[in-house]
Amino acid sequence: MARKVKLKISTRLLRKKARRSSFGTAKHCRFCSNKDNVALLDYKNASLLRNFLTERGKILASRISGNCSLHQRALTTEIKKSRVMVLLPYAASTY
Amino acid sequence: MHRYEVLLLTIPEITADEASSLESHLAKVVSDLKGSVLSFDRWGKYFLAYPVRKNDYGIYFLMRFECDVENCKTILDALKTTCAVKYSELIMRHIIVKLDAHAPLEYQRPESLEETPSRDVDSFLKENKMTGLMASSRGNRQKDESMAESMTQEERL
Repeated sequence: MARKVKLKISTRLLRKKARRSSFGTAKHCRFCSNKDNVALLDYKNASLLRNFLTERGKILASRISGNCSLHQRALTTEIKKSRVMVLLPYAASTY
Repeated sequence: MHRYEVLLLTIPEITADEASSLESHLAKVVSDLKGSVLSFDRWGKYFLAYPVRKNDYGIYFLMRFECDVENCKTILDALKTTCAVKYSELIMRHIIVKLDAHAPLEYQRPESLEETPSRDVDSFLKENKMTGLMASSRGNRQKDESMAESMTQEERL
């Protein structure tokens, strides 16, 4: 019978580590890493803002998009302005 | 000095005369109170994200202006009344945004329908390798069918 290898780290932690690495590289804020993008963050630039919407037109959570809270707040206000000016949908039925 | 921009969404049926009168009126409002218009751009026709006043399309205009700190409030009030009351039949939506006075005036905007050339069906079908559906082959098939019909008629005779 094979001898059981004693693990230094608990299996739960190992599994957690594996789960984390399986999602690829760590997320980063797109606006913090590239300062040029901050100037592009504008309610008129609908094509950029569209990257931060779901298919249904909802705003993506920063947990998913990886934005820092500062830029997520700025992005949200710009998206809402853009929605008022009919450049982005409030809710898209077909997209 | 304060710098502002006004984005207007007008009805798609706006004529060139109405657009020019709108532009001159807005410019007059700004210049009456010692402001100066920096630019007035016509973005063009757009397919809207959702219908407004039962319109699927709309035309955008962007005006940018500078004004003194004392006059800015009266100018903004006057602009609001012109957009929301005087030209309310033409203007569906408007937004007034304060700009950073030292930031560059360049901006990104989505492509309008006038800039993107409308493609005909055949080029789309060619790109997506669906040549079987093209009009020419469709015509051929109709010819074949008519030939077949005439053949059957001849056989009957």
